[in-house]
Amino acid sequence: MIPLNTPDELGVHAAPSAAPASAAPDKKIEGRAPLQLAWARLKKDRVSMISLGVIFALILIAVFASLITDKLIGHAPNVQYRDEPNGLQSNGLPFGPNGTFWLGTDSLGRDILSRIIHGTRVSLLVGVAATSIAVTIGVTVGTAAGYLGGAVDTILSRTMDVFLSFPFLLFAISLVSVYQPSLKISIFVIAFFTWASVGRIVRGQVLSIREKEYIEAARSLGAGDIRIMAIDVLPNLIAPVIVYATLLIPTAIVFEATLSFLGMGVVPPTPTWGNMITDSVSYYEQLPTFLLFPSLALFVTTLAFNLLGDGLRDALDPRAARVLARK
Amino acid sequence: MSGAGPTVDHAGRTINTKPGEVLLKVEGAVKHFPIKQGILFQKEVGRVHAVDGVDLEVRSGETLGLVGETGCGKSTLARVITGLHPLTGGRVLFDGQDITNLPRRAMRPYRRDIQMIFQDPYGSLNPRRRVGSIIGDPYDIHEISKGDVRKKQVQELMEVVGLNPEHYNRFPAEFSGGQRQRIGVARALALRPKLIVCDEPVSALDVSIQAQVINLLDDLQKEFGLTYIFIAHDLSVVRHVSDRVAVMYLGKIVEIAPVDEIFQHPRHPYTNALLSAVPVPDPDRSDTRQRIILRGDVPSPVNPPSGCPFHPRCPKAQAICVDHMPPLESAFNDAATHDKACHFPVADGENLANAVPGIEQPGVAPTALQPSSKA
Repeated sequence: MIPLNTPDELGVHAAPSAAPASAAPDKKIEGRAPLQLAWARLKKDRVSMISLGVIFALILIAVFASLITDKLIGHAPNVQYRDEPNGLQSNGLPFGPNGTFWLGTDSLGRDILSRIIHGTRVSLLVGVAATSIAVTIGVTVGTAAGYLGGAVDTILSRTMDVFLSFPFLLFAISLVSVYQPSLKISIFVIAFFTWASVGRIVRGQVLSIREKEYIEAARSLGAGDIRIMAIDVLPNLIAPVIVYATLLIPTAIVFEATLSFLGMGVVPPTPTWGNMITDSVSYYEQLPTFLLFPSLALFVTTLAFNLLGDGLRDALDPRAARVLARK
Repeated sequence: MSGAGPTVDHAGRTINTKPGEVLLKVEGAVKHFPIKQGILFQKEVGRVHAVDGVDLEVRSGETLGLVGETGCGKSTLARVITGLHPLTGGRVLFDGQDITNLPRRAMRPYRRDIQMIFQDPYGSLNPRRRVGSIIGDPYDIHEISKGDVRKKQVQELMEVVGLNPEHYNRFPAEFSGGQRQRIGVARALALRPKLIVCDEPVSALDVSIQAQVINLLDDLQKEFGLTYIFIAHDLSVVRHVSDRVAVMYLGKIVEIAPVDEIFQHPRHPYTNALLSAVPVPDPDRSDTRQRIILRGDVPSPVNPPSGCPFHPRCPKAQAICVDHMPPLESAFNDAATHDKACHFPVADGENLANAVPGIEQPGVAPTALQPSSKA
């Protein structure tokens, strides 16, 4: 028997099969679900936990945006401050960070901090909503294609190829010019262009799951295709889908910012990080902070989601090489 | 083992077949897998002849051992019998009913009667599901019970196969290979089947664990009156468990006989070669006995040889073997239960190692008399 030094050390190396051994003798031995084990591993990764903290903070900011801006800052996002307090200097330029406007004002005299906080709402909403739609469609189509195979697979896979070959921006611009730009259209366009990549990944996973003996066992018991897909295939997709969805959210947020930057996304005056960056580009020489802060918000959010996604991938698949540098 | 008798609720159909009568009959079973090429429009370029005309009878209450080397179609035959693969040709009769290629709904009642135990105890259990739900699956699929009733049934089953019922909520990863195979056995047993097809149930296990699982299967057979088709490539295991043994080569059955008959009087040259490969625990006898070393490789099942599939490697092959597939029938004074498919059956005491084939064989010189190397 290998001497077990600390439970902490054990937890790091523990393959799922070692789970019962990690319980101290006086504790009741209990089977831990693979996801519980993954969570235990994730908790040991400091980068992931910080990222998770940042994401939680962003969610809180988004939910309580009005409360924060009204009570804490005292400046509404869409009010153009012209006198007492004045958001514009006497020469017409916006202010940099100061005591009244902590992150400065924009070209119309609006509070940048307040707008960034409200922009969080749009970004997270689009990120989560578009990703949810993309994942739902992608998992459904990918599972059907991978599991059913044959003609169904051919049709669905080619459809995914077609979707992946659309030029995103051209299509987005033409779509928005047909319909009016809005939040809904943004979400739809982003989901429209990302579900196929989810579908492809899921299809690949299902192709390997389909050949497992437990699928055959289920069939020999008389289970139907729908049941097998829902009960035997789907739980095995959770890990890759969680990872991919976490990495898809920042992509969707950047897509939305791109659309807003081009004036194809959410319509002004609703603040989004994308349209704030658009407003700021003509002032970046005089007032770099105007450009800096919304970009920073975008950067931090994207980074947090990406790092969390990496951490999740390590935690959900302990057999993959761990990043040793992270301690 | 609990002596409480049948503790598991069974809701299966009543079976007309009495013990000793034919429970399962396979008639001319053929299973070909098409080989397809092309991305969008697939064209069939060939076929794998996995099972190529198999006739088989399994009697109620017996254990039929099925042996043969890797790729001879044993597992495909198992999957054809359990309805996992549709048949290309031939028929499968269970309890007198034709169950060939039945649609899923019509097949359902028979699924209860025919169950399967899989080779790989790691692959055959879904790693993301709890053991209780895996073993409870048959009850769920066949809508037999749910909730606490199902839990009780599952725990009874776990006890029957020698698992701790308290481990109901564990995941497969928390069990050892032998325990996992017991979970597989419990799942197969849940519906109280009449026939269990065991597809190499112990070949993935440790030797010490193999004995445990074999004994468990043995006990269960007595307790529940089960019929087994036992696939293996380990001849000593087959000798231990089987009442009768069928030898497969390249999708065909070449010899079938009661277990002692086949081990003492093997008639088919392939059976002889197979048996001569079994290690002998006595070093003196091991030195003196003659190994029959087959030459050449197993032919590709995509393009099987004409006539007898064994003719390219058979030490006794003659011209007739190339043209005609011999029928399965008894030879010499053997009992009618001992069938072989060979034009030139091997007599008792005949030395096959010195036999000379009467035809040219690939990879073998026409006068194959050179001393057999220790390859």
